[in-house]
Amino acid sequence: MSGTEEEANGKSGFVPSRRTVLVLGAAAASTVITVRPALAQTAGSVLNCEIPVPSPSAGGSYVAPDGRLVAPGTPGAAPPLARPLRGEEVKNLLRSGVTPAGVDPTASQAYANYIRRLQAGMSGFTCYASLQMPR
Amino acid sequence: MGDPIYIADSRDVRSVPLDGLTLIYHAPSGMTHIVAPPAPEILEALDAGPADPAELLRRLRARFEFEGEDAIHARLEELEASGLVRRG
Repeated sequence: MSGTEEEANGKSGFVPSRRTVLVLGAAAASTVITVRPALAQTAGSVLNCEIPVPSPSAGGSYVAPDGRLVAPGTPGAAPPLARPLRGEEVKNLLRSGVTPAGVDPTASQAYANYIRRLQAGMSGFTCYASLQMPR
Repeated sequence: MGDPIYIADSRDVRSVPLDGLTLIYHAPSGMTHIVAPPAPEILEALDAGPADPAELLRRLRARFEFEGEDAIHARLEELEASGLVRRG
């Protein structure tokens, strides 16, 4: 229907100059190949990787409830963890809210939010990214 | 009727067209996907907002000629399995 086409054009902003043929393919054909980082190849290595909270480069920074790093001693913020968290502990913390052994339960969400905010290049990011992968 | 709504979080990905294929880096998972048509076109169509398969087909039809509409379900399922698309 041409009316629907015009609506869709206006909504998504593209202005087609000509009609292109798109092959949706057969149901059995696959159009997506996923490349996984090598460290995710075995479940064991993922569950044993470690995430320091915060990263060593952040010194003695505290962790605010939303996961941001703040100055040591900031009220309401959690102190650095004495030991890095293992991948399995992080997985249980993020998915089920299970507080790792030796960690203050009232601060565990701050640590979880810090981990969720990890980005490429930060200590522990590859471990966190691996935990996000299916299977 | 009863079809799920699909969402693509385009802010989380970086796409690079490469010789007929598209490389997509998904930042939250750290995974890279190599996708062939019609996957990039479907993701682009979802940029306009969440959509069920029927709405998605309407958006695609605005730009493309195609047949075999039933395959859209298989395409969405594999995009969902890869983590590039999620259900709303």
